[in-house]
Amino acid sequence: MKIIKKYIPLAIVFIFGMITLASYYVPHRTSEEYLEWINRWENIVSAFALFLGMISLFYVHYKKIERKVDGWGYSLFVYIGFLIIMVAAMISHGDISKGGKVTCLGWTFNNIYNPLSATMFSVLAFFIISTAYRAFRIKSTSAFMLFLAGLILMLGNIPLGEIIWDKLFSWTHITIAEIKNWIINVPSTAGKRGIMIGIAIGAAVTSLKIIFGIERGYMGKD
Amino acid sequence: MKETLNKMLKIDRRWLFLLLTFAIIIPILKPIGIPSKSTSDAVKDIYDFIDKLPPGSTIILSLDYDPSTAPELHPQAAVVLKHAFKKNLKVIIMTFLAGSGGLIDELVRTIPTKYSKEYGRDYVLLPYMPNILAALTQMSSNIYAFYEKDIDGKPLREYEMMKNIQSYKDIACVVDITGTAILDYWVAYVGDKYKVPILGGVTAISQVGYGPYLQKKQLKGLIGGMKGAAEYERLISEVGKGTSGIDALNIAHILVIVFIIFSNIVLLILKFL
Amino acid sequence: MMKIIKFSLISLFFISNLFAMPSKSKKQAEQKNQNIELSSLQLIDYPSDRGDMIILKWDIEKENDLTYEIYVSTNKENWIKAKEVKNGEWTLEKIDLPFWMWNKKESKNAVLLEVTKIFSISEEDFFDKYKDGFKLYAKLNILNKNKRFETQIVEGMAKGNWFRTDRLNSLITVIIVSLVFFIVVSHAKKKELFIRRIAGLDAIDEAVGRATEMGKPVIYVPGIGSMSNISTIASVFILGEVGKKIAQYDATIKVPHYDPIVFTVAKETIKQAYIEAERPDSYRDDINMFITQDQFAYAAAVDGMITREKPAACFYMGYFMAESLLLAEVGASAGAIQIAGTDIDSQLPFFVTACDYTLIGEELYAAGAYLSKEPMLVSALKVQDFGKLLFIIFASILSIILIIAAKTGSTNFTNTILDILKVR
Repeated sequence: MKIIKKYIPLAIVFIFGMITLASYYVPHRTSEEYLEWINRWENIVSAFALFLGMISLFYVHYKKIERKVDGWGYSLFVYIGFLIIMVAAMISHGDISKGGKVTCLGWTFNNIYNPLSATMFSVLAFFIISTAYRAFRIKSTSAFMLFLAGLILMLGNIPLGEIIWDKLFSWTHITIAEIKNWIINVPSTAGKRGIMIGIAIGAAVTSLKIIFGIERGYMGKD
Repeated sequence: MKETLNKMLKIDRRWLFLLLTFAIIIPILKPIGIPSKSTSDAVKDIYDFIDKLPPGSTIILSLDYDPSTAPELHPQAAVVLKHAFKKNLKVIIMTFLAGSGGLIDELVRTIPTKYSKEYGRDYVLLPYMPNILAALTQMSSNIYAFYEKDIDGKPLREYEMMKNIQSYKDIACVVDITGTAILDYWVAYVGDKYKVPILGGVTAISQVGYGPYLQKKQLKGLIGGMKGAAEYERLISEVGKGTSGIDALNIAHILVIVFIIFSNIVLLILKFL
Repeated sequence: MMKIIKFSLISLFFISNLFAMPSKSKKQAEQKNQNIELSSLQLIDYPSDRGDMIILKWDIEKENDLTYEIYVSTNKENWIKAKEVKNGEWTLEKIDLPFWMWNKKESKNAVLLEVTKIFSISEEDFFDKYKDGFKLYAKLNILNKNKRFETQIVEGMAKGNWFRTDRLNSLITVIIVSLVFFIVVSHAKKKELFIRRIAGLDAIDEAVGRATEMGKPVIYVPGIGSMSNISTIASVFILGEVGKKIAQYDATIKVPHYDPIVFTVAKETIKQAYIEAERPDSYRDDINMFITQDQFAYAAAVDGMITREKPAACFYMGYFMAESLLLAEVGASAGAIQIAGTDIDSQLPFFVTACDYTLIGEELYAAGAYLSKEPMLVSALKVQDFGKLLFIIFASILSIILIIAAKTGSTNFTNTILDILKVR
C-alpha cells in the first residue's frame, strides 16, 4: 500500500520533473512533442477532476437543501442555474450566435453572465475607496511615503490631476506625468524586480524540492 | 468634538459607496468634458504604428477579455477596430478566451457597417481556440492548419481577404487586447520568435508590468485602461466609451483623494485634541 | 621559311578567333551566367534548433555595393529565391548565438534560412517527413553593377539537435544551484537553523485560537491557481498545518475551491491533518467544497460565505488576481483576522492594505520549512539564500565591470559579459 500511496507518486513526479527540466535544453522536435503530449494529458486529468468537483458541488448543496439550513434557497439556485445554462447550451449546440442571430446561449451570456461578471468587477471600485479611506492614514514615515506615492500616481493618471498640478506647481517646471513615470520606472520597478528575483529563486528551489521528493505537501501527508 | 471626529473615521462604508455612486453616475449622465492635456507615449506609438501601415495590409486583432474587464478593454478594442477600418486595413479577429464571444459579437454588429466594411472582404472572425500555444506556433507556417474554417463554419481560404494570407509573414502586426497574461504569450512566442510586431491593450493595473517590454521594444505600443482608450479616441478624432467614461474616472479619482486627505486631517486633529 | 609558316599559322589562329568572338548581346548573355568559385561559401546546420533552420555563410567582400540573391533547392533543379541581401548587411553578429558557439568577430555574411517558410511546408508535415534531416542545396547570384555571377552549388543538411548549447550558461547555473542544494540538504542537521520571524505564520496560532474562543469557523481560500503554480503548492502545505491546529483545537474550517485538482489534493491534505492530530472522527467531507472555475463567480461565492458565516479568521494563500481585494475587504468588514500570502506582486498592495498580516512572495514558499521545522526543508531555505547571495554578488560585480567596459569603449568585452548573462 505504501508503494502505491507514496513511492509510485514520488517516482512519477521525479521522472516527469526531470524530463520536463531536460526538455528546456533539448531543442529537438521529440522534446516539443513530449511537451504537447503532457499538455494533452493535463487537460484530460483536469476534465476528470472537474467532474469530481461538480459532484462535490452538487453534494454540498443537496445536503443544505435536505437539512433546510439557513439560506438553502440559494443552494436551489445552483441547480436551477446549472440546468438553465445546460439546456440553453444544448439547444444552441454551444453557439453564441448563428447566422447573425443571437442564440439561446448567447442571450443567457449577454443578459445574465455579462452583467453579473461586470458587476462583481465593478464592486472592486467601491471596495478600493473604503480600503483607501481606512488604510491610507499617515501613522509613520513609511505610511507617509505610501500616501505620497499613491497621491502622485492617482493625480498623474487623470487629466484633471494634470490640470490641478499645473495650477499649483507649474513653477517647478516638472509635470506630474514625469514624476509619475519616474516613480513607476525607478523605485517601483526596482522593488518589483527585487521581489521577482526572490520569487524566481524561491520557485526554482521549491521545484527542486518537489522533484526530489523533499516537499510532499501535494500528496497529502504520509 | 472628539466623538464626532472618531465617528467620522469609522464612518459606515455605505456612505462612501453612495458618494462614489453619485460621483460616477452624474458625469456619465451629464458629461463635463474635462480636457485631456497629454497623450502617453505608449498610446502614441501604437497609433503611429497602425497609422503608418499601407492600406490593404492585414492585421490580427486578438480580443481576449471577458465581461469583467470589458469596461476598460471594450473601448480599446472598438477604437483599434475603428482606426483599422479608417486606414482600410484588413482585420482577422480571433480569441483565446471562451468568455469573449458575446463581446466580439457586439463589436462586429455595430462598427463594420459604420465604415461600410464587408465580412470576408474586410474582416473575418475566427472561432475560439483553447490551445493558445499550439495555435500561436502553428500560425507561423500555416494559419489554416489550425483555422480551417471561420466562426460560421465556412472554409477560411475562400474569403477574398484571405487569398494572400498564409502565415505571419503576410501579417503586418498583431494587436492583442486582454485582461489576462495572453499578451505575454504573443510577445514571447510570436513577437520575439518570429519577429512579428506586437501591440497591446491591457487594464490600467496591468499596464505598469509591461514597462520592461515597452523599453526593449518587444511591444511596439500599449493602450492602458480607459484613459488609454480615451487618448486613442482623441487621436483618431472619434468619441467613444473611453472618452465618455473619462469624466467619471476623473471625478472618482478626485473623490478618493479627497477622502484620504480628509481622513488624515481628522486623524491629525484627533492627535492634538 | 619555317618562320613564315609559323607566323602565318599564328596569324590565322588569331584571325579565326577574331571571327569566333561572340556578338555584343551574346557577350552580355554569357556575362549574366558567369560562373564564379566562392571558396568561403558554406551551408551549415543552425546549431541548437529543432531542425528547420540552416545558415548560409560566406566572406564579406571589400566591394560594398554587391547584392546577393540566395537560391535554394531540394534537387538542384527547381530553384527558389529565398532572400536578397546586400554585402555586409547580415553577419554572424546579427545571429543571436553566444560567443562560445562561434567566433562572431569573423568577417562573414551569414543569412539564416527557415526551411518551412521558404518551401511552404507546414511544420507538422516537415517533421513527419524529414525526421532524419532535410537536405538542401544553395547557390548565390552575385550582382555587381551590371555584372552577374553565379557561384557553385553547396549542399547542407538541416537537422534537429539534441542539446541547446546556447543555454549552456543557464545549465551551469542550474547545476551549481542543484549541487549546493544537495550538499546543504544532505548535511541537514538535527539542530535548529535560524529562520527570521515571519509574523504572518506566527499569527496562525492566534487566528485559530480566536476561532475556537468565538466558536466561529476559519475560512481558508487557496486562491485561483492550479496545482502547477508553486504558490498553490505552498498554500496546500500551509493548509495542512492550519488543518492540524484546527483539529487539535476542535475548531471549524471551510475551504472553498476554484480548481478541481486543488480540491482533490486539499481534501486529502485536510483528512491527513485530522488523522495526525488524532481527531479522525471530527473530519467531515464538506470541509472542502468546489465552487466554480469562474474568477468572479468564485469571489462572489466566497464573499457570500464570509458575510453569512462571519468567520473569526480568514486565510488567503496562493495565486490571486483581481478578486483579492473583493475577498480581503469583505473579510475586513466581517471583523475577521486576516492572513494573506501571494507571489503575485500586483495583488500584494491590496493584501497589505486590507489584511492584518501578509506573506510576500518567497515568505509563502518558506512556510513549509517555517511551520514544520523539518531540518531538510529548513536547509533548502538556505539554498534559496545562497542563490540570492550569488545573484547579488554577480549583479554587483558585473554591473561595475560593464560600466567600466562601456566607458572605456571595449564593446567586445561588454558583449562577452552580456552573452554570459543572457538567457536565450
